[in-house]
Amino acid sequence: MGATLTYIRLNLSRLLIIIGALAALGTWYLSVPMVDSVFKELNAWQVNISSFTLFTGLITISMRYLRAIQKRDSDVWYFEAYALVLIYVWIILGFAVGMYSDLYQTAYLSTKITLHIAILGQIIFFYTSGAYRTFRIRTLRTAALAISAVLIVALNAPWVQNPFPAASNLAMWLLNNPQMAASRTVVITGGIGSIVLGLRVILGLEKGAQRITEGE
Amino acid sequence: MKIPDLKSQYVWVTVALLAYIIPGVMPLGTGFPMSDTTMEIYDIVKNLPEGSICAIGGSGVFAFDLESSAGTIPALKIMAENGVRIINVPLGTEAVQYEKFLIDASRIEKKYGGTHEYGTDWIQFPYIPGGSSGLVAFLDDIHAACPVDVYGTPLDELPLGQELTNWEDIDLWICPHWGFPTIVQYVTGERGIISISFAQSGAYSTYSPYMMSYPGQVYMTNGFLGGAQMERLVGMKGLGHAAIDAYQVLSILFVVFVALGNATAFTTEEEE
Repeated sequence: MGATLTYIRLNLSRLLIIIGALAALGTWYLSVPMVDSVFKELNAWQVNISSFTLFTGLITISMRYLRAIQKRDSDVWYFEAYALVLIYVWIILGFAVGMYSDLYQTAYLSTKITLHIAILGQIIFFYTSGAYRTFRIRTLRTAALAISAVLIVALNAPWVQNPFPAASNLAMWLLNNPQMAASRTVVITGGIGSIVLGLRVILGLEKGAQRITEGE
Repeated sequence: MKIPDLKSQYVWVTVALLAYIIPGVMPLGTGFPMSDTTMEIYDIVKNLPEGSICAIGGSGVFAFDLESSAGTIPALKIMAENGVRIINVPLGTEAVQYEKFLIDASRIEKKYGGTHEYGTDWIQFPYIPGGSSGLVAFLDDIHAACPVDVYGTPLDELPLGQELTNWEDIDLWICPHWGFPTIVQYVTGERGIISISFAQSGAYSTYSPYMMSYPGQVYMTNGFLGGAQMERLVGMKGLGHAAIDAYQVLSILFVVFVALGNATAFTTEEEE
């Protein structure tokens, strides 16, 4: 990539990020109609660009799979062929009968949704046999793991909650305090990381994110 | 005496038989306690004045969101009985199909002998891309963000569509999808509309603190149990009741298998 193109790509994307970020932040902190209008306009663009990415995804996956089917050098090329056929069958069906038609809905519920629910339902078999095999109390750590799992499962169950209504309060306390404290740590860490990443992108320090390292 | 290790297949067969097949064929009618929050949600939905507008929307994956349908279907029945109008606002690609499923399963449409007529009493919007940006655009100007319904009919040609301008026309927001934080932030936090989530139990354990952050404005039910509670308040037995039956048995099996696993480990170590 030429140096000029790299320079344009770097500064143009940085400029777009700064304008977008400031417009969104501006509507939060300022009650100025002009700022609000700019944000609404940019937001509408963003929604349109999101719609467009669906087509980008379709084109990208089609090109990738078609190439794999032509070469047949991958072990999974026939799955890719199957996926490609299904993608276009569903698109044609949606266009032909309408995505909100009873036929499309029945086809969708009978295949994709039913299979997806079946896959989710299978997890409980592995979960139960996994619990039987791994929640064996040998150390303090395995005791904490096994006892907390059994407590959460039992305290939320009707056979415990019916005779002991306070059990649901204990279950909620466990979920809202120890569990929430740990999960919020992850969320807050991710949030701070996002802010730092955003600042690095705006300052041009995160060159990989803006694909400007290709010319170096 | 050494207790032998069970093969996984035995565990799977026991779970399939006792937690799925038997409760599926012969419902156990498991009793369960009522929650104060579910009662409050029921009152909010029940007391919506005739003609008010409830938005049902968000984003999520259909198979996961099915858990939320247990609470949403009874809520739809209550609203239909009281003449509350409904707009479905899908923010995820599968949400359109899921929201159609909710309307079909609740049997509120006239074609199923219900009260609601499309265009006058309820509208289905098409998928609104852009995530939270799409939601904000919709709330700020409904006609600009979504000029047509899911069939491509201009909103101006639909009686209910003509009444819609922006978020100020929406009286209540129900989120039957996983993605509740977006709704809390932009619908309730920024615009003050009461929001209800018939949450999946996984989402409930993660997002329930929002109820403490927005007391009296954000409400959540807990998974299939919350759905079963809504069903009981409406006087119906649906997916919520069936799931509670399965959970009742499964929770006992889970404790039994963990205890059995520990007994096996204990007796094996003792013998060695």
